[in-house]
Amino acid sequence: MTTAPERAIAQRDALGEPADLYPGGQVGRPVLRYGGGDRTSGAQQFVADLRFPGALQVALVTVPVGCADVLGIDTAAARAVPGVVDVVTAAELPSPVPRFGVSHTDRPVLADGRVNYHGEPVAAVVAETLDAAQAAARAVVVDYRELPGVYSLDAALAPGAHLVQDPSIRPEHALIDTNVLEDAHYAWGDIEAEEARADVVVENTYTFPMVTHFPIEPGGTVAVPTDSGGLDVYSPVQHPYLLQRTISSVFGLPLNQVRVFAPDPGGGFGGKQNPKLEPLIAFLALRTRRVCRIVLSLEETFQSMRRAGCRMRARTGFTSDGELTFHRVEADFQIGAYADVAPRVMGKGSYVAAGPYRIPGVRIDARAVMTNTTPSTAFRGFGSPQVSWAMESQLDAGARELGLDGLEIRRRNLVAQGEAFVRGESAAHADGDWHQSLEKAAELIGWGTPLPPNRGRGIAVGIKPGATSGLSQSLVRLLCDGSAIVYAGTSDMGQGARTLWQQIVADELGAELDRVTVVSGDTGTVPFDLQTSASRSTVFMGSAVLEACHDVRRRVLELYAESTGVPAEQLDVRPGLLITPDGELSLPEAARQALGSLRGEFIGQGTRRLRGKGAHPLGGDAAFYEFNATAIEVEVDRETGELLLTRHVTVSDVGTELNPLQVVSQDEGAAIMGLGHSQMEQLLLDDHGRIRNLGALDYRIPTFKDVPLELVSEAVENHDGPGPYGSKGISEGALLCTAGALGAAVADATGVVIRDLPLTPERVWTALQGADS
Amino acid sequence: MPKYYRPTTRADALAALAEGGAGARPLVGGTDLLVGLRHHTLEPDLLVDLKAVTDLPEPIAVDDEGMRFGATCTLGELVEHPVVREWYPALVEAALTVGSVAIRNRASLVANSCNASPAADTAPPLLVHGARVTIASLDGDRTAALDDFFLGPRRTLCGPGELVTRIELPRPAPGSGAAFRRLTRRRGVDLATVSVAAGVGPDGALVLGMGAVGPRPLRAEVPGPVDLDDEASLAPALDRLLAAATPISDVRGSREYRLATLRVLTTRAVRTAASRRNPREMAS
Repeated sequence: MTTAPERAIAQRDALGEPADLYPGGQVGRPVLRYGGGDRTSGAQQFVADLRFPGALQVALVTVPVGCADVLGIDTAAARAVPGVVDVVTAAELPSPVPRFGVSHTDRPVLADGRVNYHGEPVAAVVAETLDAAQAAARAVVVDYRELPGVYSLDAALAPGAHLVQDPSIRPEHALIDTNVLEDAHYAWGDIEAEEARADVVVENTYTFPMVTHFPIEPGGTVAVPTDSGGLDVYSPVQHPYLLQRTISSVFGLPLNQVRVFAPDPGGGFGGKQNPKLEPLIAFLALRTRRVCRIVLSLEETFQSMRRAGCRMRARTGFTSDGELTFHRVEADFQIGAYADVAPRVMGKGSYVAAGPYRIPGVRIDARAVMTNTTPSTAFRGFGSPQVSWAMESQLDAGARELGLDGLEIRRRNLVAQGEAFVRGESAAHADGDWHQSLEKAAELIGWGTPLPPNRGRGIAVGIKPGATSGLSQSLVRLLCDGSAIVYAGTSDMGQGARTLWQQIVADELGAELDRVTVVSGDTGTVPFDLQTSASRSTVFMGSAVLEACHDVRRRVLELYAESTGVPAEQLDVRPGLLITPDGELSLPEAARQALGSLRGEFIGQGTRRLRGKGAHPLGGDAAFYEFNATAIEVEVDRETGELLLTRHVTVSDVGTELNPLQVVSQDEGAAIMGLGHSQMEQLLLDDHGRIRNLGALDYRIPTFKDVPLELVSEAVENHDGPGPYGSKGISEGALLCTAGALGAAVADATGVVIRDLPLTPERVWTALQGADS
Repeated sequence: MPKYYRPTTRADALAALAEGGAGARPLVGGTDLLVGLRHHTLEPDLLVDLKAVTDLPEPIAVDDEGMRFGATCTLGELVEHPVVREWYPALVEAALTVGSVAIRNRASLVANSCNASPAADTAPPLLVHGARVTIASLDGDRTAALDDFFLGPRRTLCGPGELVTRIELPRPAPGSGAAFRRLTRRRGVDLATVSVAAGVGPDGALVLGMGAVGPRPLRAEVPGPVDLDDEASLAPALDRLLAAATPISDVRGSREYRLATLRVLTTRAVRTAASRRNPREMAS
């Protein structure tokens, strides 16, 4: 069996790709963001900026509780509001009400007699103006009976608990009588024997809060009925092709009658992956034969996406030398009212619940528990930040018992390159030299140097499996004047993917950087891309673009031979060059000569496909692992509980930095986002399942004033990734273990261990009070 | 949607407010009002924009007795003013915690007081400095101490048809000092979990303005001198000052946390205020 990098290297060699970067090329340079100027100046058109003259505006009707039976909906007053075109409830939808979903086909287009979370729409108003739509939405009278919904893990798991899911969704399922949607179990080694030989055992319970993605652009959808009976759907989604397939499936339209335009999302973080309101807006457009538009408020966005909260009970054993012997963890993920992709978050996150460590005996039992809350979905880290919080804290708990420090305990247990950290049938091996990242983070934080009172340091590591299957297709057109157009379906939501395609094409085809444009966000013109998720695009789409460039070069060579009469065997290509018996020609010049007076262009095609494995619990081996080491130095105000991060170091194992500037910005963004759930972010619910801190006023994310005094981002490069030039995906690493590093730093500063996130001033203060009394 | 009216004279503004009664709202920066409109927590019939009125008190006026701030004085103007910075550093500290730069360049000091949030950041230092407000209507002007002006959450002496045209602050006594402290859930833009302004008088008397620990901003004082370096003297003084605080538990903090940190912040604010007393002036 080969590892993912070995397979990737073999594939690279088969394609004839060079192992190293090109001297003097654009790849590897801090090229400025493609489209960054427009994004900075405000010129970029987000979905809310697109003009649709004559469009109808949509407003949603909800009930003020998290769980209720809808007894009746009186729309008479709403219909009487001037400008109202239609008011639609489930009764106006086809029967049974169409449902959709990623892992389960469970989400109705509109609430079907039962509201399962606060904010779930029960009706939609369509009007000539937004004011009319909103006024009419307030005039809709919903007669409902509140039900004893389950809003916490304890409530959902209690005997006789209200069942969130309609039993018809999974009639034969063994867990049908419970709120457990799915479970996952991973085990290896003789755990009883390993426990018996442990010298030190620590057992603790940890919690990770429900948090929301908080993209700065809330998003929205516009549906345009076409003359041919199809639909154009505008939505800032990460997966335009999934949305196309969903709309096609819900409405029975062929794929070529559904065209998805995906304007750049203003931040996605996983929250804009899967369809939510798009089927409803599409239905309204087909029903009214008019353009229908909704732009969400921030509050509505809060009610449509979040990360699963998690409670983890962990029991971990060590030898007196500090070597891990066993780790048991039970992890309950609090997912929401519909499955979305949450079962996979649970399964994939818990797969790495024992961390990147050498542990002879492991047992992991995880459950995805449904509650009457906002459906949880993919969110940067995809389950890893939750399990990492428990694992990293357990390691430090063991270290404290053993008199070791946080660095030393990790040195003794972190796997070496090529060594398995998940054992058994579906093993996973370290695909990088992760010790380098750990040591670099320790060095950059000044590990072991003296600290003033009330200051402490913590260090932690995190891993996350990359994509386990995937398909990206790309077209590259080299035009007769040497400029080029790349068609790549990756959604650019701020990560800067297009910049990389530009750099790759510039180097491979010898085009000038500013003469390479990228087309994306239109399923009608851009070839298929499975997803923009799991930090996959550099590896998958990057490889497809690279292959398309090779295809162009091959075609240039062939036509040059035909046009000039120089035998093809005497020609060769290099990045940006055609090698002829008379010397080197730049590829654009060779292309111009080959095309001749008819001009025209070369069209290259590239595909990167990773087939999954049916028997693997993740559906396949991860194409790569993201690995990160984070170290934090914190000062604690013991009287108020406030934390001041004086230094925050993050080191990621990136394979190759295709664009160092973008690596740093992704890393910094992830680190700061990690501080959000570590320090301040949490969705708080009231007794009726409503979000108490619904909106920007009381849901706190870090601002620039909350950023550590020093934030240092470094990368380890060993050119050992499966992507172009040895790259790996890098967009999530720096938030995987932020919480563990911060928690350890606070414990170091105060002597008090906190196991519940976020570490708000009040929570720290309360813990210190408890310790003092 | 409410009607929008932009008068150019004070008389027209007052007439419009009188005619609109409880359904009319004056508008300056809109930093609270527009949020309320968006969320439909406020649904006035008429907005009377004061920014084009030419005969309202000027935004900032200063003389030997003190300073006066007109209804259109923004927090951005306030914090840049050299005399404000010299005389009322606690007010500058508080104003700088309101929103962001962009918000402060719109938000009005007077309107911030009229909004009467129990957590209003500028209220504690204004209370410490003995602010008075002038309330105008078609019937004429009246003045009130800011401490009497605040009635409860979002309730003030300023009724329908009335307008607060200015806030005045007496010049701080020589040898006095003041400071502001605030606790929030994060360092950037946030609402106060607890806020406090402390003033130390020339004779060592202490005065406090407190935010987010009661249904309205609170004021308390104890006569001096209080020996700040002597715990036996400071502790009972703090007990008396803080007795008025009746915080609730809410999404921003628990009652227990607020009470404990109010005392911590007060102690810190009092010490900073004392350190700001001008020694030369004290001697004179």
